[in-house]
Amino acid sequence: MIVPMSWLREYADADVSTRDFAEDITMFGQKVEAITKPGERIDRIVVGRVAGITKHAGADKLLVTKIDTGGRMIQVVTGARNLSVGDFVPVALDGATLANGVTIKSGELRGELSEGMLCSIEELGYTRHDYPEAPENGIYVFSEPREPGADVRPILELTDEVVEYEITSNRADCFSVVGIAREVAAMYGGPLRFPDCSPEELGGGRAADHIAVRIDAPELCPRYAARVIRNARIGVSPQWLRHRLTAAGVRPINSIVDITNYVMLELGQPMHAFDIDEIAGRRIIVRNARDGETFVTLDGQRRELDASMLVIADPEKAIAIAGIMGGENSKVTEGASAILFESAAFSGPNIRRSSKKLGLRTDASSRYEKGLDPNLALVAVNRAARLVELLGVGEVVPGVVDCYPGVVSDRDVAYTADGVNRLLGTDISGDAMASMLRRLGLSPYPGGVSAPSFRRDITREADVAEEIARVYGYDNIPATLASGTPTVGRKNREQLLEDRLKAAMAASGYSEALTYAFESPKAFDRLLLPEDSELRRAARLVNPLGEDFSVMRTSMANAILTALAANYSKRNESAALYEITKVYRPSALPLQDLPDEPKVLAFGIYGGADFYDIKGAAEAAAASAGAEADFERTADVPFLHPGRAAYVSVGGERAGYIGEVHPDVLAAYGIGERAYVAELFVAPIYANAIDRPAYKPLGRFPAARRDVALIVPEGVPAKAVERAILASAGAYIESAKLFDVYRGAGVADGRKSLAYSLSFRSPDRTLTDAQADEGVKSALVRLADEFDARPRV
Amino acid sequence: MREELEQIKREAAEGIRAAGGVKELEELRVALLGKKGRLTGILKGMGRLSAEERPALGQLANEARDFIEGGISAAKAELSRKATLARLAAETIDVTLPGKARARGHYHPMTTAMEELKRIFLGMRYEIAEGPDIETEYYNFDALNIPSDHPARDEQDTFYVEGKDADGGGFALRTATSPVQARTMERGRLPIRMICPGQVFRADEVDATHSPVFHQMEGLVVDKGVTFGDLKGALMVFAREFLGEDTRARFRPHYFPFTEPSAEMDVSCFKCGGAGCNVCKGEGWIEVLGCGMVHPRVLEMRGIDPAVYSGFAFGMGLERIAMLRGAISDMRLLFENDVNFLNQF
Repeated sequence: MIVPMSWLREYADADVSTRDFAEDITMFGQKVEAITKPGERIDRIVVGRVAGITKHAGADKLLVTKIDTGGRMIQVVTGARNLSVGDFVPVALDGATLANGVTIKSGELRGELSEGMLCSIEELGYTRHDYPEAPENGIYVFSEPREPGADVRPILELTDEVVEYEITSNRADCFSVVGIAREVAAMYGGPLRFPDCSPEELGGGRAADHIAVRIDAPELCPRYAARVIRNARIGVSPQWLRHRLTAAGVRPINSIVDITNYVMLELGQPMHAFDIDEIAGRRIIVRNARDGETFVTLDGQRRELDASMLVIADPEKAIAIAGIMGGENSKVTEGASAILFESAAFSGPNIRRSSKKLGLRTDASSRYEKGLDPNLALVAVNRAARLVELLGVGEVVPGVVDCYPGVVSDRDVAYTADGVNRLLGTDISGDAMASMLRRLGLSPYPGGVSAPSFRRDITREADVAEEIARVYGYDNIPATLASGTPTVGRKNREQLLEDRLKAAMAASGYSEALTYAFESPKAFDRLLLPEDSELRRAARLVNPLGEDFSVMRTSMANAILTALAANYSKRNESAALYEITKVYRPSALPLQDLPDEPKVLAFGIYGGADFYDIKGAAEAAAASAGAEADFERTADVPFLHPGRAAYVSVGGERAGYIGEVHPDVLAAYGIGERAYVAELFVAPIYANAIDRPAYKPLGRFPAARRDVALIVPEGVPAKAVERAILASAGAYIESAKLFDVYRGAGVADGRKSLAYSLSFRSPDRTLTDAQADEGVKSALVRLADEFDARPRV
Repeated sequence: MREELEQIKREAAEGIRAAGGVKELEELRVALLGKKGRLTGILKGMGRLSAEERPALGQLANEARDFIEGGISAAKAELSRKATLARLAAETIDVTLPGKARARGHYHPMTTAMEELKRIFLGMRYEIAEGPDIETEYYNFDALNIPSDHPARDEQDTFYVEGKDADGGGFALRTATSPVQARTMERGRLPIRMICPGQVFRADEVDATHSPVFHQMEGLVVDKGVTFGDLKGALMVFAREFLGEDTRARFRPHYFPFTEPSAEMDVSCFKCGGAGCNVCKGEGWIEVLGCGMVHPRVLEMRGIDPAVYSGFAFGMGLERIAMLRGAISDMRLLFENDVNFLNQF
């Protein structure tokens, strides 16, 4: 909402600087977004009287003028042709600044001294909409004599300050100058000077003789008030009115349309003016549009309507889309003589939906959307009629045709001073509260307050408390620290474990990524997922930003690969990224209930890494929770290399996958080197986490170590050999650690040598060599049997 | 014999001086003091001396032995000391060569900001609550006093998800973390002191200051006798902890459907301290959060009696705060996952 200070001060006193005022009203609840001064940059532009005009000797298209600037005669060269001796014109003196910031310097033009510049209306920051009398491509000539040398800014109302407010959606009443003025009056405790809304009605007859109104959709149109103007004189509005419209961001059109816009800005009630002669049968019908009905709005656009929308119609045709925009077919033009002023109340939600469907948001619709007070409609139509009289642009026909099926009255809201103080933490007396409410235009009574219909946002004690708090001043309410019932502030188990996972990933060299939860369904193809893959069962957005952001991810593979690809395309040598986040697994599609949103730890790496690097990170992640990850080769993950991928389980529960990315998938993502990804559900890790590790006694007796190299068939997994050793090497085996894998001389093709370091230990004595040797022997028997393993010698 | 002892001592002194290394000293020791050494031979011959001569010569022989042993061991120590000095000198390195660090990963700046906020509120005895990203329209709107015709449903540019529940209710990506507040109240465990940080979704096109996915942190306190003054107190503690001891806060009336009275909190600009600069756009204040007393209707809907309990709630967007703190000029950087960006934090 944009309000010039001069307009505001007409209705309320604000005897402080605009800067202080902005601060005050902001703290009162109407936040000031900006203060602008239209003439701010204009400097040293004064009234000049044209004292002489001669031709420029050296240029046919130029004139040399003598200008009286009040006590000093200057010479100015101009190209304009619309001047006569005796005209009063704006002249920019040497060193002047125009509205657009350009500075003017004295100089020579084709050999003639020019000590300034004569100004067009544009150079003063206006347009020809604001000053229709200003010539196109000419110098602005004041319509009446002015004092030469006088600053032009006050004359052209360029000294005003214009304040822009952020109005919250609950305060439809503040989308108006009077609404803001009411707040100002309450804030400073001064009076509210309501504009004159009592027309003298000097026209003949009765409005009802000229026009009939019928509301067919009363739930969408609680009120329709109409007045009739006869013998309208449609022309240019007076300058003060045009200035106000312009300053508030509305384009002046003609005296009648300007009045409707002026009332909308002044009171917040959108209005519309119809040429009565264009209304068939002079009958207004407020009805739903018909499906497929089309209508040409004032902006010349043909709009297709549907039955949910409301139109203002005559018996033959629609003449306006209710609350949004009028029509070409009934607009007020110069030739109109009888005018109908419409001032109506419409359902806010309906206007909002229609405006959205039509893609047409107007000053009117944006006000209606918020829900306007139906009682304002009558005030506004009367104000418009009074303005017709004050401006002398027509005769007001007595009476209002007022259909008001949805009467809204004041609302009684109970409150107690005690209740308000308890909520605010204040100690304000009941009397003080009542007086604060009165300042806001509310009517307190014992036990409650009557809120007028323009304050329909006040419905219960908490609302009353806010009003009192605003007048009292939010900043005057003492800040306290509630002791209250004690609570414990702590992270829960999952949150603490997540912290540990993140620390482990950082320690493994992975940086934390942040990816979008929605992605393109094309990702499923890039990942080579078969048509029947569960991972293709993704929740879809109804209104995505685009196909690329249209499904909720079921896996993090695409997100991590996309992040790696982004780094690769920036020629980053390497990237290691992880994210702990959610994937979305619907049980039915379209959704019937909320999907599972399991948390996963996803990570990926390229550049100087191999499978065992990312595996190490997975192991470290599990270990951060005190859990252990197991890996089992799989060729079943479509986007992974079938020979270099594994399922990961923790505590016997499948947690996810890990592996080298399939070369076709790498190609699809544009990653030109081997990359590795992993994705683990955190739940199995957390389920197997050890929150408080228990002490295991340290071995007091020395361990006996034996190194064993085993030649086994290529396909035997090292982990299986390790498990077999631990299971078969007797009671004292403590660990079996792989320290070498060898293929080559001495090892037959299709076989490999695995070297393990075995450690034997007893808790209660030093083992003899024989005992350790016995363990090794026993393991070798089992390994030969299970894996065809032979010791390498 | 006496002279022979003196002779040995002289020769020993000579030998120690001449010895160039530990090995030669050891040879000297063996030659003189070893089993077959010359001094050892003399000592062995002591038994042949007369009882009068024995004490004096015995003493001389012992002195000679001590002299030789002491001399050799001192010489060894000196050699060892010199060797150590030489080694240390030879091992001198260029301490200005770059250090070796194991490449470690970095936390996302959003996480860093969120963790700091969590620490502050944990210290103020708040819990951390979480909730689903895909929400029912009921929890995202209705439970927050935003009925289906409320303009706020448009203002928030909601992403809707295909599907309907058994009651015909729709699904949406949560537009705020507020549904977590409703769900927390619904559990019925009072009092409540909690924060709920998390990602939220709005249909904003991506640009330097907008992202369709961003992060919020909301907080909720419900207890007997909670006042607007308590809200101010708690948030001022937060502002000073998070932004610095000298931070000032102001509360402006505002409107939210789920709180009443409602406010926005501005803090004194943490760059200029309130004088006005490019960060605060000359205003001296930076808007950081919305807050208010929980609307009694919201309490009622969750089965909490507003005549007995009251509460306050607050919520803030985290990207802007993280960006201001990290001097990050473009929000897209937060979601691009460029390691050259991430590894700066």
